[in-house]
Amino acid sequence: MEGQVGSGTSVVSRSESPLEDLSGKVHQLPCCVKYNGSTSVSHYFKHKPTRVEVDGLCVEEAYFRGRKLQGTTVSIPTGYSGYVLGKKIADKQNNWLDEESSCWEMNAEFKNMTLWNHDILPSKDDAFLRAFHWFPVADALHCPVSIEDLESASTDGTLV
Amino acid sequence: MGTESNLPDWVAEPCIMGIDEAGRGPVLGPMVYGCLYCARSYQETLSTLEFADSKTLKEEKREELFENLKADGSIGWAVDVIDPRELSAKMLKKNKINLNEISHNSAMGLVNQVMNMGVLLSEVYVDTVGDPEKYRIKLSERFPSIKFVVAKKADSVYPVVSGASIVAKVTRDRALRDWVLDETADNMQRNFGSGYPGDPVTKAWMENHKHEVFGFPSVVRFSWGTCKSYSKGMVDVLWEADANEEDESTGGSRKRQIKLTDVGFTTMKKRSEDIESCGKERSKFFQARKLQLVSQF
Repeated sequence: MEGQVGSGTSVVSRSESPLEDLSGKVHQLPCCVKYNGSTSVSHYFKHKPTRVEVDGLCVEEAYFRGRKLQGTTVSIPTGYSGYVLGKKIADKQNNWLDEESSCWEMNAEFKNMTLWNHDILPSKDDAFLRAFHWFPVADALHCPVSIEDLESASTDGTLV
Repeated sequence: MGTESNLPDWVAEPCIMGIDEAGRGPVLGPMVYGCLYCARSYQETLSTLEFADSKTLKEEKREELFENLKADGSIGWAVDVIDPRELSAKMLKKNKINLNEISHNSAMGLVNQVMNMGVLLSEVYVDTVGDPEKYRIKLSERFPSIKFVVAKKADSVYPVVSGASIVAKVTRDRALRDWVLDETADNMQRNFGSGYPGDPVTKAWMENHKHEVFGFPSVVRFSWGTCKSYSKGMVDVLWEADANEEDESTGGSRKRQIKLTDVGFTTMKKRSEDIESCGKERSKFFQARKLQLVSQF
């Protein structure tokens, strides 16, 4: 990482070793589990497909702590990836980082994730999926504007 | 379930039916509703068949009586096995369904099932732990053509209910004996004991099979109060459904909208509050999608 880093900046760096692929193993639960660390998910969290489909989403079901969860597995849109970040212990060479800054490292990558609801079927209107709406908007906003685009916009008489 | 074509002739006669449950109290395994029916004209013979409240019979005797009644062409029976996962899930829903309601629905389901098979039910005897009269009215409203007799300890008074209790109890015992655990962790045993919270075998099983994150295997009814006594060493899990409930119990005047961001990241609490407050500055597009530009994390 080079160049100037301002105060209170977060830095994410790629790990030196190849990233573990966690596709199919990332679950977002509709609850807060007051625990950080590893646990035997695959032995206990047995999710099963159902024949139900909502908004084109295949519904899966699982039980956690006695609650019935209904969820769906969604792909992270093309061009994007999901990452599991871990805090990187700043070594002395990173002395350009001040106290307010934090340094993160990519520990794993995922191309899909399963979003779970308690009691209600998943839908396209779930907050997490709605956040994906930003991607095409961001693409449009950051897309370079050509002379032709400007001309066609002005001949339409519309303001973009 | 048999189809109409192979139903015996006597189902067209006025029939009596008994309904009883097994496994209401246990902290694990399914709850089973069973029913037994026969022509009213067979009632006298039925009372000679040594049916008694299943709890007073030894297991071998219950098994023997169950095999006998299955072979008896003048008797029909059916069961509804309610999975412990379903019991827990219903009792822990956002809009909680209590055990009485689950029980009533199961019993009504059996009546419905037997009627739809073409059995002419005239009298149905039901055992209950709750208020008999309220339950009788509920059943009579749902099935106006049937005379209901709802009584506590009906399983020891009416032979047709005793028979139903044997059907239910044997089915529950077999279901638990043959239970296949969903979980695949090492050292999982199936020595559940009776499943009653006071049973030392059940207690030992609960203690040996608790898990700090997942709680218990899904054969356990998480909604049972007894589970709390094993919660030492288990990590807390917070649910939106519970947070809302707490609000209602405090009178509801302080209606707090619990969002997952509130219960989700307590270490980030201060920051999530910051995000809430600056949400007003954000475009509606981002507000509605719960998106926030975060430069520091």
